[in-house]
Amino acid sequence: MAPGGYFGRALVVDAGSGTSSVLPLDEEVLRGYLGGAGLGTWLMHRLAPPGADPLGAQAPLAFVFSPLVGTPLTTSAKFAVVAKSPLTGMLNDALSSSHFAISGKLTGHDAIVVRGACDRPSALLIDGDGARLADAADLWGLPAAHAEQRLRERLGRGWRAAAIGPAGEAQVRYATISHDGRHAGRGGLGAVLGAKRVKAVAVRAATKVAPADPGAVLAAARDLRARSFGPATAKYRELGTLANLLAFNAISALPTRNFQAATFAGAPRLAAEELAGLRTVARNSCASCTIGCEHIYAGGGRKMRVEYENVFALGPMCGVSDPDAVLAASGLCDELGLDTISAGGTIAWAMECAERGLIDAPWLRFGDADALMRALAEIGAREGLGDLLAEGSRRAAEQVGGDAAEFAPHVKGLELPGYEPRTMHAMALGLAVNSRGADHNRSGAYEADLSGDLDRFAGGDAQVAAAIETEDRAAVMDSLVLCKFLRGVFREPFEEWAALLSAVTGWDADGAELRRTARRIVLAKRVFNIREGWQPGDDWLPERLLSQPVETSSGRVAALAPERLRAMISGYYAARGLDAEGRPAPADLAGLGLR
Amino acid sequence: MGTPKAALEWHGSTLLRRTAGILARVTDGPVLVVRAPGQELPALPPQVEVVEDPAEGLGPVQGLAAGLAALSGRADIAFVSSTDMPFLHPAFVRRVVRAVADGADVGLPLAHGYPQPLAAAYRVTLAPVAMRLVEQQRLRPAFLFEECQVARLDEAALRADPVLAALDPDLDSVINVNSPDDYAQARARQAPEVTVQRFGTLADGHHGPHPVRAATVAGAATATGLALDRHVVAALNGDQITRDGEMPLAAGDTVFFLSADAGG
Repeated sequence: MAPGGYFGRALVVDAGSGTSSVLPLDEEVLRGYLGGAGLGTWLMHRLAPPGADPLGAQAPLAFVFSPLVGTPLTTSAKFAVVAKSPLTGMLNDALSSSHFAISGKLTGHDAIVVRGACDRPSALLIDGDGARLADAADLWGLPAAHAEQRLRERLGRGWRAAAIGPAGEAQVRYATISHDGRHAGRGGLGAVLGAKRVKAVAVRAATKVAPADPGAVLAAARDLRARSFGPATAKYRELGTLANLLAFNAISALPTRNFQAATFAGAPRLAAEELAGLRTVARNSCASCTIGCEHIYAGGGRKMRVEYENVFALGPMCGVSDPDAVLAASGLCDELGLDTISAGGTIAWAMECAERGLIDAPWLRFGDADALMRALAEIGAREGLGDLLAEGSRRAAEQVGGDAAEFAPHVKGLELPGYEPRTMHAMALGLAVNSRGADHNRSGAYEADLSGDLDRFAGGDAQVAAAIETEDRAAVMDSLVLCKFLRGVFREPFEEWAALLSAVTGWDADGAELRRTARRIVLAKRVFNIREGWQPGDDWLPERLLSQPVETSSGRVAALAPERLRAMISGYYAARGLDAEGRPAPADLAGLGLR
Repeated sequence: MGTPKAALEWHGSTLLRRTAGILARVTDGPVLVVRAPGQELPALPPQVEVVEDPAEGLGPVQGLAAGLAALSGRADIAFVSSTDMPFLHPAFVRRVVRAVADGADVGLPLAHGYPQPLAAAYRVTLAPVAMRLVEQQRLRPAFLFEECQVARLDEAALRADPVLAALDPDLDSVINVNSPDDYAQARARQAPEVTVQRFGTLADGHHGPHPVRAATVAGAATATGLALDRHVVAALNGDQITRDGEMPLAAGDTVFFLSADAGG
């Protein structure tokens, strides 16, 4: 019998034949990897053939739920989509939240894995009758939201769907998977589904799963709900993450014009403080969430959910300060199914290439909103210059040649989020070593830079410790799965998370166990990447960030010397028990429970 | 004075805390406090180092020798300040340090009618010279200046720095307090005018920058209706982020108040 909150099995569907099988998940695996990103990592070790092309038929893609899904715990209706990334060639997990998580889990599985490829556009349907394929020719070419809506209308009540947009169909390497207006955004997992010609995955609940101690779970849910209304979540509730933009500009942490500056003169026009009162048309919550971070803005003839990252990437990063243009670009990314960070980063890089004469695109200039929209449209369709840019900045730079790679804004192929590493040294380390690539959700080291507890311009041992701590916390939160916007309400996070997990599963987990779990998950991700060809040089930052200082608003010159980054990485490796090149000891591998 | 100068109250902090804080803001190396043997000091930030004079009552060259010796190999230039200059401005420190960076051994201000050896910059390699002078009982700074290249900065030279001229036009940086009356007069002055700006959810209707008078970060927070707590941090002039309410402010500073929960 599976522990509380679990079914103890994953459904493995072959999209080529429409057949499926059940993969038992024993308690040791579940306790060792929890769910979400952690269990997804285990599944990829188990099911992904070494060296497989992420866009090939053999490559598996997993929707992974967690023991907390379906409980009344706030923010718990989340899941991870996990696969080898076509953008990075390494392990990628993209989290999202919606009713899809609840319905997907209540098909009776802790994970749904898709492998193989259909011979024509199809939708994968999963419910109590098992898995089957349905023709989706009429959905092909539609934005994800339209496809999702049409599919649900066709299937009837109770169905929830996750779908890809045109960019996923065109196998843009940073295409998203969308549902309920939210996106599993990073790393191009939409392209993986597109390569399988799976337009959508629809799920319908068929069973129930009970926690081990319903009373304790309910009490914890009430407590957490009350805390979720407090000051630790006020930012998300009142303004959303866009509140970062003006603050980051003030502290010279706002990457601008492809990291050529850390402040943006047009930032006030894009600030939440300015736009919230003018553009907000609604505020929403994810399923099972009491925070309500979704701020829906109207602009450029569209309505869209606005976050700091999409405004940063399509605004300052591309030099665009017109809020209507940025909101329209963000809306277009939603329609096409594009990760806004990678789209903005890749286009910003291309704008610089065009200005330097490295690519022949005289129409593509920083600050030109029409050029931004044209570039996005061409990427979504893989037309014209878009076919090159659909590959992401790393691959595109390799094709362009010259010194284009030196200012391509990525780590491991994943475009950098909106945190300036030269003025945030803890974050610089987190971005460099994280297994997913340049990512702010798997390394929250920016918390240390913004804490006031250490010198953000002088990375050292304290930054190493902070990067490890935040990476460990992320590993557990992404596996339970709980929303990171809730992180500020936990005073003793590992202990409190262990209590939640114990109430749901019946285990006697404690904080120390979850710390070991975090390290196991982080290491298992690294081991997967090593298996897939990771090299020590992949734990590094773009040349520009290490060779070109950036001026802050106060006139200070901020730099990140390669020697400083190297020292921090060495400290990270040592603290993680890795060798000098970032590889684990054989004895540590044995403890991962991987085959 | 009745109270050791270092411990004199200064807008909720102390004179020594202010001086150490101003120097920490301006320099990128260590900040040292040289104290007399056994002297009690008020609370200081953890990164401030304390070294002890080997002997008491030998005057400024002794303290200078001890301080420079402690910095040997760790810094090239030291700004040396007495603890009783409550209006020392970062722009003044920068200007004086620049004189040594430009090639002199000592940057010596001549302001308010006197040379200011305890508001001056020294090349750290002068440590053995200062020690020898102490051994020779030649305890006045003038003896040191005889043995090295001194860039003397009169008031015109100081005010030629446009930033310093704008932020400390009367060169109040060199005012010190030697009597209870001096201290009372200094303390009666208004706190410096600084600019504050609240961001994100902290803005709460206070959009854009606005001036307040505050001598510390905590004072600036109070002046704009905030309290530094678990959820609020400050960024001084857009650079270092701090929760240290005693962080001293000077005229022209800008203090940004941010949500401590910033980030995605």
